[in-house]
Amino acid sequence: MVPALVVKTWRDDRRAIIGWSVGIAAFTTLYTGFYSQFQGTAELKEDALPPDMLEFLGIADMTSAIGYLQATIYSLIGPLLVIMAAITLTTRTIARPEEDGGMELLLANPLTRRAFATQRLTAAATAITTITAVPWLLVAILAPTVDMNVPQGNIAATNAGLILLVWCFAGIAFLIGAWTGRRTPVLVVTGTLAVATYLANAISGLLDGGDWLKWLSPFHYFIGTDPLRTGWHPAHLAVLAAIAVVTAVAGIRVFDRRDIGV
Amino acid sequence: MSGMSSDIAIHAEDLTKFYGSRRGVEGLTLDVKAGEVLGFLGPNGAGKTTTIRLLLDFLRPTRGDATILGLDPRRDKAALHRQIGYLPGELAFPGREKAADLLRFFAAARGGVAWSQVTALADRLELDLTRPIRTMSKGNKQKVGLVQAFMHQPALLILDEPTSGLDPLMQQEFLAMVADARADGQTVFMSSHVLAEVQQAADRVAIIRDGRLAALERVESLGRRAIRTVEIHFDDPVDAAEFTGLPGVSDVMVSGPILRCTVDGRLSPLIKAVARHEVIDLLSAEPDLEETFLSYYYTQPDQHTQIEGAR
Ligand SMILES: Nc1ncnc2c1ncn2[C@@H]1O[C@H](COP(=O)(O)OP(=O)(O)OP(=O)(O)O)[C@@H](O)[C@H]1O
Ligand SMILES: [Mg+2]
Repeated sequence: MVPALVVKTWRDDRRAIIGWSVGIAAFTTLYTGFYSQFQGTAELKEDALPPDMLEFLGIADMTSAIGYLQATIYSLIGPLLVIMAAITLTTRTIARPEEDGGMELLLANPLTRRAFATQRLTAAATAITTITAVPWLLVAILAPTVDMNVPQGNIAATNAGLILLVWCFAGIAFLIGAWTGRRTPVLVVTGTLAVATYLANAISGLLDGGDWLKWLSPFHYFIGTDPLRTGWHPAHLAVLAAIAVVTAVAGIRVFDRRDIGV
Repeated sequence: MSGMSSDIAIHAEDLTKFYGSRRGVEGLTLDVKAGEVLGFLGPNGAGKTTTIRLLLDFLRPTRGDATILGLDPRRDKAALHRQIGYLPGELAFPGREKAADLLRFFAAARGGVAWSQVTALADRLELDLTRPIRTMSKGNKQKVGLVQAFMHQPALLILDEPTSGLDPLMQQEFLAMVADARADGQTVFMSSHVLAEVQQAADRVAIIRDGRLAALERVESLGRRAIRTVEIHFDDPVDAAEFTGLPGVSDVMVSGPILRCTVDGRLSPLIKAVARHEVIDLLSAEPDLEETFLSYYYTQPDQHTQIEGAR
């Protein structure tokens, strides 16, 4: 049986979950469906942009199906959207109710602090995973219909990486929310980390001797292995999962130790 | 459970909470007996909410500790909160649902509460459960808070300013609910600013001021100690000097044939002095608990002269 608090959390978040899912579905469908029209113009664009710029944007070659998918859905806007959804939903686990006072009645239920934090996070994590699985479902269905020749296994590997990337940032957001009980630090710190680590990964190849930078970026463990071409890379994915687990556990522990609502 | 849990519902020992250097509550030592109703009174910022939130393990004490129903608030939080009904002082509701949906969640989270229990309470408080809570008036929101606190018939009710926002009729209904809870053997710990409302329901009253326990008395003895205002109409003008200095008599004011004064404790010294004159009328206000209470609030218990100024 699903715990009452998990059901309640889903119910309270349902508008946000549906909204983000619909938005991300529209985005994925639009770009995937656009592939056939885009093919012709891509070559032009690719010629028009300097190679460094293409690398920065994570666009290897726009003409191939893989390059196109990578450029549109899995390199910048896609991850940005799902990470934003994850931060919003994670903020609602602890920081938001603690700020608006609703925490008082939630926490008065017969659960230990740890069980409370775990159930809130579980509810948010399942919602975030569902939202991030939307592009997977759509790309897997739509790719064959627009003659994209990408192995299903590679789509799965890439989208699994995206899910773990999002878990990683959700874990960080959860830790900060569980620690401070405030929304602003969650949004500022997690947002800044997401942008900074994205940039670190993007510019690492452009800087002389800056290649090591990429190892600091979750984005590297997600997309640096080129999973749409090369498939599964368990070690890289494990790094993302480890960050998610460590931050989640740390968040549950700090929440167990502090004063609530001060 | 330990033997203590059977007769002591709340045991606080040197319970202290500082917010940084700011005092929330300090050195609170207090026992609440199982089955009693304790009114927890004090002015704004006295430390009532701080104490309550310490008991619920939302705050961790700087010093000292509490035992509730024989259990440790932190270690046994899950087991304990199943037996506690809590009404927060600053009520905010999680989510945007209808009252019924939120209460269904509480019912499920507390391991299943008969729905008839909820509707009975809602009927009693004349609360419409089909409305979204955020569209309700303050008093109706308060009723939702009361329903969720009482619905699982907890062994211990911890209520932070339960009557705030309720109209006088509903305040009476609430006090009847407390009386019923007491009759069923439930323990009630309720904070308030107003003595009159707890006086009806409470067995004992604890008064807290500046974070410290100022008094802890049975409601009856609070009444016995109370001062009363006396007004006597004589046939002829009297001299104030005859009445000043009588034991327990103060604030003597004479205007022509009318004497007004306050009496602390027994009336007989005044009555004996008064009997030397022809008395037309004697008015004695009921022992005013509110007045006694305010004296604890703002002055030492024996400095009654300042009370008039405080009112
Ligand atoms: N989060 C906080 N941070 C700092 N100080 C606080 C905090 N909460 C309460 N205090 C201080 O602790 C003291 C006790 O506050 P508390 O809220 O317990 O009073 P109260 O008796 O409930 O008052 P009221 O009748 O107004 O509800 C006050 O001086 C208050 O300013
Ligand atoms: Mg208060």
